Amino acid sequence: MATQPTLGEVLQSQGVSRRAFMKFCSATASLMALPAGMGAAMAETLASAKRPSVIWLSFQECTGCTEALTRSHAPTIEGLIFDFVSLDYHHTLQAASGDAAEHAREQAQHDHAGEYLVLVDGSIPLMEHCSTIAGISNVQMLKEACADAAAVINIGTCSAYGGLPMAKPNPTNAVAVGDIITDKPIVNIPGCPPMPLAITGVIAHYLTMGGMPELDHLGRPQAFFGENIHDRCYRRPFYDRGQFAETFDDEGARKGWCLYKLGCKAPTTYNACAHLKWNNGVSFPIQSGHGCLGCSEPNFWDALAVYDSPAKGQFGDGAKLGAATVAGAALGAGAAVLARRKKTRIAEEEESAS
Amino acid sequence: MSAQLETTQVFPSFEQVYQGLAGQIGMLRQMAPEPTKSEERRLAGAINTLVEETNADEAVWLESCIHCGQCTTACHFFQATGEAKYAPMRKMDLYRRVYRREVSPLRWLFKLATRPVKLKDFEEAQELIYDSCSECGRCTMVCPMGIDTASLVHHMRSAMVAAELVPPELSALRMEQKNAGTVFGSSPETLKKMIDTIRTHYGVEIPLDLREAEVMVLSSAVDLVANGNGLLATARIMNHIGVDWTICSDGFESANFGLLSGDMSLWRMQADPIVAAAQRIGAKTLVIAECGHAYPALRWNPMLRSGALPFEMMYMSEFLGRQAKAGKLRLRPLEGKVTYHDPCKTGRRGGAFDEPRAVLKALGADFVELPANKEYNWCCGGGAGIFLLEDATRLRDESFKIKIREVNETGAEAVVVSCASCRLNFEAGRQKNHWDKRVDSLVELVADHLIDGPTPISGKKAADAEGAVA
Amino acid sequence: MTLLEFARGPAIHASLIILVAGSMIRLVGVLALTRGADLSRPRDVFGNFKGYRTVFSRAWPSDEFTIVTRYQTAMAYVFHIATLLVVVAIVPHIEFITSLTGLSWPGLPNWIGVALGTIALVSLIALIMRRLSKPEVYNSTVGDYVTWIIVALPLITGLMAFAHVGLRYETMLALHILSSALLFAYFPFSKLMHAFWFLFSRAQSGVAYAHKGVRI
Repeated sequence: MATQPTLGEVLQSQGVSRRAFMKFCSATASLMALPAGMGAAMAETLASAKRPSVIWLSFQECTGCTEALTRSHAPTIEGLIFDFVSLDYHHTLQAASGDAAEHAREQAQHDHAGEYLVLVDGSIPLMEHCSTIAGISNVQMLKEACADAAAVINIGTCSAYGGLPMAKPNPTNAVAVGDIITDKPIVNIPGCPPMPLAITGVIAHYLTMGGMPELDHLGRPQAFFGENIHDRCYRRPFYDRGQFAETFDDEGARKGWCLYKLGCKAPTTYNACAHLKWNNGVSFPIQSGHGCLGCSEPNFWDALAVYDSPAKGQFGDGAKLGAATVAGAALGAGAAVLARRKKTRIAEEEESAS
Repeated sequence: MSAQLETTQVFPSFEQVYQGLAGQIGMLRQMAPEPTKSEERRLAGAINTLVEETNADEAVWLESCIHCGQCTTACHFFQATGEAKYAPMRKMDLYRRVYRREVSPLRWLFKLATRPVKLKDFEEAQELIYDSCSECGRCTMVCPMGIDTASLVHHMRSAMVAAELVPPELSALRMEQKNAGTVFGSSPETLKKMIDTIRTHYGVEIPLDLREAEVMVLSSAVDLVANGNGLLATARIMNHIGVDWTICSDGFESANFGLLSGDMSLWRMQADPIVAAAQRIGAKTLVIAECGHAYPALRWNPMLRSGALPFEMMYMSEFLGRQAKAGKLRLRPLEGKVTYHDPCKTGRRGGAFDEPRAVLKALGADFVELPANKEYNWCCGGGAGIFLLEDATRLRDESFKIKIREVNETGAEAVVVSCASCRLNFEAGRQKNHWDKRVDSLVELVADHLIDGPTPISGKKAADAEGAVA
Repeated sequence: MTLLEFARGPAIHASLIILVAGSMIRLVGVLALTRGADLSRPRDVFGNFKGYRTVFSRAWPSDEFTIVTRYQTAMAYVFHIATLLVVVAIVPHIEFITSLTGLSWPGLPNWIGVALGTIALVSLIALIMRRLSKPEVYNSTVGDYVTWIIVALPLITGLMAFAHVGLRYETMLALHILSSALLFAYFPFSKLMHAFWFLFSRAQSGVAYAHKGVRI
């Protein structure tokens, strides 16, 4: 195995100035709420770090996560994360194909046993025949790849929580990585797609700190998923004032009022969209006029009807309430009739007794 | 004034009337019957009675209570003692327990979740149902739900009759009225004797058992066995007005211990002969003597379709008020400042507010209302038979202090009442507290201030004579 | 299924079914009982109808009782009005009602919602303080306290969710919906039914007294 260049060398060869690199490191460090001064330490460590081996597994996915990471905007340091790591296996990006590609994976697993990272996008069908790569079912490949991995990072909601493939009726019986792999550290970076900075941030953290960042109860890095979009939303003042868009083309919508009533899931969604934004800080869904879908939350597609606000009850068939009213009235009338009979009976008994 | 002097000679003063009656009441306890039925049957009877008497109205009232406690501000017994158990809402607790288990639409649920009601529960409720509730209805006036607690207590009294748990005094009088048809021994013979006494000593004629009369007048046991002045005053007024009136010996008793004890059958048994007598003589008006509960017993008897009767029933104060309004009473002015106590049964629970005030106006009285009057009048504490109950003595005495305070606040010298029971209770309170107020009966006050004095001629002739004058 | 999904799905649905069915059983089961007849002649021929005004007149204590009941009257009014406004006039509640009925109307700004909720909670606490401090007046039962807690819970959780304090919003919202579901399910079996009974209770007494010519 050839001696690999350090990250610093790679960046230099890519024409990234030290100034830009420092800026990235301090921004990432501050984003991830690392102690002051960690930015410089991170730069130093990253610059001298060996590129870790990474196996990127794509199962039931749409490649959106990769797209988000690679094509969101002009090359930046976030995109260059692929240069930080030795991406030994990635369907979409690697040059090799067929047996050669699979061989590369096996090689990496063997050479870097216990050290390599597994990044997964896409959910895994338990109906194994539904998705195979080189004749290997997704379940099998995941188990094999993870056997000697240092950690697993789930890129996107599908691998983190099952995502769209798991949505009803879930024809492939899709599950998340965490449902299969239980003996490795797993970091979920959900989103459909996830924020690129969250991915690079976690990897940078791993490289500099030698471990995974602090996670929330859903396995997400607190640094990126600790805050409620609603709390960070620039439209929040409209919510507080009670000014809402009622439809997508009414005056409220044009004035940029709160999209709560149009089903915005920001109040129940935890992600960094509202303050980091997308496309180099240009915008995020709410800013462009559509409510948050809650894509970084488990089960988001089924759980919270897209255009229903979180407060709306999900009653399914409302006819049951009508039926309950009628049944209640009938039972009440029955109880009253029986009570009347009881009175009559007592009166008759007293009549006959006297 | 000679008549008044004579009065004190023949008939005792009301002070003495009270003392005499108190002795008689004391003996009632020994006369009370013991329970005859088995405990199971008594309990079953009580529960069945409540089931039978529970209509939608009662059910709604029982369901409505939210334990807000406002009724306590209205109840004289609670206000006088401050004891939790006398809170009016408590008085329907047992009824509600029975209701929930037996009648409520959720009764199957409550049967699983609540303990069965025992006879002991009814025994414990006796004090709440009789001693500490005069069914005055004042709590209904404040209740945000408007619950008619008094009527619920009345149903409980019916249940207590079935449970044979009527307090001894009421029980004795109930049995006397039920079995002998008398109250304190006041039989038709007593009535005749009293009429003779009045004729002999005062020269006042009382037409007894006329075949036909326009006005049929009732008397009451208190008047017949103790306070002759009551009947005397009635007779003087009737003769003064000159109406065609009579008293029927087969229907003269106002007192109804069926109503007071809660015995609906005795209530009916006592009311029916009076109605029959009035119909027989073709009366147009039935005047109920100053005996508070007789008014609801007859005028507001829910079992009696009184709209279809050919005569009108009215309380003595109503009758007097109408006569006063019609200018039929010629009266000397009443000296001094007086106030008027609305008996619960004729006031808040009877609606006879204007007429007694019209009488006082006709008397030219310096009349002042009690601070809480008419619908809001405080009960004297002796109503619904409580005056007779020895066990209720403390409650009565304590609650009467509210009445003393109220009357004192008006600065009146005398308080006029129009109910024998209230009057006895006021007299008891007056004597016990050495209260310097006078307690007057409306009917006696009117009789004492009639300008023509006693008329020693028969009612019929008087009618002719007065007709000429009027 | 998350807590919020459970709360706004099956939990609230089941509680509403219990609410309507239970309320109907209790209302119909009571109102369809035999009607007692007062056969006596009313004081005025049409006088009984005047009794229905008690339904409205009893909304405020008569002069005789204004002073003695002022604390409760004031607190109860504040509580009922504030609660009612919160229930029908803040946007998430309107959204809920919309999901149930399809009806919709403009809501109040958040600060008013929070203020009203706080006022409702404070008045509710004021009422329980009085209940606790005057046991002889209230004769409180376990049911009284349980009812208080069940009424207070949605207010507390709702305020916390609305103001985004305490647990995460979706958890607070779920707890709020669950506590409301508890309130709905408990409603038909409790004294909360006075929301219906007061109409009938007042009318009955009003008519019974008007029959005798008494205005209560």
